Amino acid sequence: MASNFEQQRALEPYVRLAGISKSFGPVKVLKDVSFDVRPGEIHALLGENGAGKSTMIKILSGLYQADGGVMEIEGQPMRFATAKDANASGIATVYQELLLFPELTVAENIFLGHYPQKAMGRIDWTAARAKARELLDSLDCHDLHVDTRIATLSVAQRQRVEIAKALSHKARILIMDEPTASLTEKDVTRLMEVVRSLKARGVGIIYVSHRMPEIFALADRVSVLRDGMMIDTRDITEADEATLVSMMVGRSIEQLFPKGEAKIGEPVLDVSKLNHGRLVQNISFTLRRGEVLGIAGLVGSGRTELALTLFGITPATSGEIRVKGKPVSIRTPRQARDLGLAYVPEDRGLQGLVKSMSINENLSMAALDRIAPGLFLNFAEEARRAVEAVKRLGVRARAGIHQPVGELSGGNQQKVVIAKWLETRPDILILDEPTRGVDVGAKAEIHAMMSDLAAKGLAIIMISSELPEVIGMSDRILVMNNGQVTGMIDRADATPETVGGAMTAQAKSKEAA
Amino acid sequence: MSLRTLLRHETILALVAVVLLVALAFQSAQFFTGANLLNQGRLMTEVGLVAIIMTFVIITGGIDLSVGSILGLTAILTGVFWQNLGLPLMAAAGLAIAVGTFCGFVNGFVITRFGVPPLIATLATLALYRGLAEGISQARSVRGYPDWFYVLGQGNILGVPTQLWILIAFAILASVLLAATRIGRSIYAIGANEVAAFFSGLPVNRTKIAVYTASGFAAALAGVIFVSRVSTTRSDMGTGLELDAITAVVLGGTSIYGGRGSVIGTLIGLVVIQSLKNGLSLAGIKAEGTAVLIGLMLIGAILMTTAFNKRRA
Repeated sequence: MASNFEQQRALEPYVRLAGISKSFGPVKVLKDVSFDVRPGEIHALLGENGAGKSTMIKILSGLYQADGGVMEIEGQPMRFATAKDANASGIATVYQELLLFPELTVAENIFLGHYPQKAMGRIDWTAARAKARELLDSLDCHDLHVDTRIATLSVAQRQRVEIAKALSHKARILIMDEPTASLTEKDVTRLMEVVRSLKARGVGIIYVSHRMPEIFALADRVSVLRDGMMIDTRDITEADEATLVSMMVGRSIEQLFPKGEAKIGEPVLDVSKLNHGRLVQNISFTLRRGEVLGIAGLVGSGRTELALTLFGITPATSGEIRVKGKPVSIRTPRQARDLGLAYVPEDRGLQGLVKSMSINENLSMAALDRIAPGLFLNFAEEARRAVEAVKRLGVRARAGIHQPVGELSGGNQQKVVIAKWLETRPDILILDEPTRGVDVGAKAEIHAMMSDLAAKGLAIIMISSELPEVIGMSDRILVMNNGQVTGMIDRADATPETVGGAMTAQAKSKEAA
Repeated sequence: MSLRTLLRHETILALVAVVLLVALAFQSAQFFTGANLLNQGRLMTEVGLVAIIMTFVIITGGIDLSVGSILGLTAILTGVFWQNLGLPLMAAAGLAIAVGTFCGFVNGFVITRFGVPPLIATLATLALYRGLAEGISQARSVRGYPDWFYVLGQGNILGVPTQLWILIAFAILASVLLAATRIGRSIYAIGANEVAAFFSGLPVNRTKIAVYTASGFAAALAGVIFVSRVSTTRSDMGTGLELDAITAVVLGGTSIYGGRGSVIGTLIGLVVIQSLKNGLSLAGIKAEGTAVLIGLMLIGAILMTTAFNKRRA
């Protein structure tokens, strides 16, 4: 009888969303989303960038308020006005970018905002340290000292502190946003143990991740979001990888990534034994005209660092770069540009655009010499080029070329960054996460544009975290891990398994060594 | 940041300036006379030269606190080179300006090469250059310059004070440079987003060094004009000049965070401050009252810019 009752209770969701919708301005980010988590359940949440996962998480954790629909905690309707409300209701979140204070100690971070108190509001440090110790021990983190400053800890250790912090709020539901994105293989295994032990204690877990193996190893149920809609929720036993991917993407990979045939020409970039710091070690490859070379790897594998080194932002400490056969030295982005390289950076807002300036001014920024052969700017020529570029790339701007780029949507901003670099008439275009934070329509346009540029003889390096994108768009894929090349895979052999395998391959060979 | 918003701030400020001039004219019969206005132009030149380049500096997101000290050092050196080293006065002034310009270069070099925040770097050189000026002068002043030298600071050309011509030429040159050239565009881009400017291949460090060097040059030129105007050199010349210049720049609508501003705004800011100082003193209001009013206007100007930005964001 008792066990039956227990089972019954376990099946009742602790938190339930029904018909939740949320808009930002005219953009509907969540449409009629229903979702629930039971105590002691690991519920995986899948979806592409921009599918609405983060918005849903933020509603659950009290950072956003839903426009419509209801949220229930143990069957009672509930509205969170702040993150504190969510904490009080037993919902805690471990964000991807860990939100700890580096100069404070482990114990201080865990109890920040709800320190145990003595009389007259004084903080009871003895109790705080003891409780912090207890929490960490319960996570099997006996090696973490409560008085250590956060700044000295590794990413994995900080994450455990975050989890302890969540538990200090007596969390019944723990939301984990891509918890393994920046962890090493070993730390991933350890994290999975922690997650399982939480589950055993009856904590419900919302596990956001892109990594299929983890999902299949951990989850009880899986839900897929796409374009703000909940596509389906099913038991993990009724799901397989292929169906999940097609649910996420909505169509097959071939349809999505129209990489056309381009004539592969002579080599334009030869890189040999390039080094910079820990994340660019002995990198060698050749890039040819008309080729799209994909670079795949986990976060922190050195993909972006390689691009920064090629582009002279963090100049190489050793190794050789040849551009069109000529050995060159690239010490600044300016030199890189003059050699025919272009770099569309990962962080559009910070590195790619001057948001307060107009489309017009941003477009000419990398090619100012062309509109100002002498000292003076040729405004007519600048405007003419801008109008042409905006038309050619289909940048949608209400106020035309004089609109500040900060007011454009993500996709249009990205087109402006790409157009800016095309103005320099490069031979080699490096695209770092070209479709991150870009809606599905603009994404397809950017892919079509890449295909088109390659057909015209441009050599393209594309860095992407999205496996389907890398596999769909690349002629060859260079895979990196820990700053080293762990694979070079031809289009014909590229599958999620081969590329994904190479992404973690080097760690194994290192262990063997 | 569009041209429209820029114009809006400057148009409002220009209207304020006009209202102010009319109001002050009613307060005192002497205020709105040609002789008084031209004389005010004469008094405004030194701060004006410095403020124009300060506009550039602040648009790049920096600040130059050392301009007053550079002015003082240049003034002292002009006297010392001429009297103690026996150089011809023209050469002495030229050499002193070269040293002042180099002082500006040092600011730029320290800021770009060692990544020292401009506030700290120029706070340090403010003390350093002033200390040098005091050490070299040994509290002695140099007087008795040849008559032709006073044409610069006390004479007129075509009925207008000589240095006002220099200020006008300087202002036109600076406006064109900022609004219509590659370097001007780079200055705005660096101030608005230095990382993106660097990633776009703009010469960030070179531009910054050029701007601080120009700031040193403007302060040095102002120093020589100052000596000519007051007929003497003292090591405490130009003390506090940096704050007057920054006040004019910020009042003129240049964002202290960089990326936005114009020379014309700074000029209107200068006119507003100078006419307030002069007009109110003619109307019998004490200097303290004027200072309070300028402070209030500055706060008003900053609130106004912030309000514009909020609406845009």
